[in-house]
Amino acid sequence: MVKVRVKYFGELHDILGIREEEYDVEDATIAELLLKYIPDRHAGVADKWRETVFATVRGEVAINKDGMPILKNHFILVSGKSTELNYRLKDGDEIAILPPVGGGNAK
Amino acid sequence: MKVKISDKLDDLNSLLNEIKETSTDIGAIIIFVGSVRGLGRDGERVLRLEYEAYEGVVEKTLEKIISDLKDKYGIIDAIVEHKIGPAHVGEDTVYALVASRHREEGFKSLIELIERLKHEVPIWKREVTEKGSYWIKST
Repeated sequence: MVKVRVKYFGELHDILGIREEEYDVEDATIAELLLKYIPDRHAGVADKWRETVFATVRGEVAINKDGMPILKNHFILVSGKSTELNYRLKDGDEIAILPPVGGGNAK
Repeated sequence: MKVKISDKLDDLNSLLNEIKETSTDIGAIIIFVGSVRGLGRDGERVLRLEYEAYEGVVEKTLEKIISDLKDKYGIIDAIVEHKIGPAHVGEDTVYALVASRHREEGFKSLIELIERLKHEVPIWKREVTEKGSYWIKST
């Protein structure tokens, strides 16, 4: 069992109503954290979570040819470094789920 | 090089003096000031913006961008400050200063710095208008 801290930004903390929280996970990847642990804990907004974070096809999370879910313009950092969804979580990891960053218009 | 995110930006003149003192080789200082516009994307009246940031990562990302610009254009130095928290119409939200030997590389660097700031640096902006509030995405 490993303990990880998850941080939410922008519209994600609006959806979940929380900016960060901890999870105890059993030999899990980031994909499993995003697809199972987080929506299970926040069951009331699980559909909204999936639709916001992942690309979906007819309401189902889209999967790539490697069997990994496809993020919808979101990025994942683990302890400040960009990371793939198949990363296996380690004790003490800080996972930040980043929505598209928002700037001003150039024109 | 200096980067900072804060709920209160430093005085712009003090930043200008600070970057001037970096080197006697400086021949141009180009400054960008971002401020809160009173009209939203759909023409509605803006009440305020609310910025939030992934602190720590913002600073590292900005330092990397400035370092890249030094390598690419040979600029002498840069300072970037970005506001977090609420910002009202007319309030300054970004100061970016680039010091270079000549104006050409300064202008190019500043444009690239701001574009990368808007697209790569983990800062999010919520626009609060008279009709509601929205998270803004880069375009």
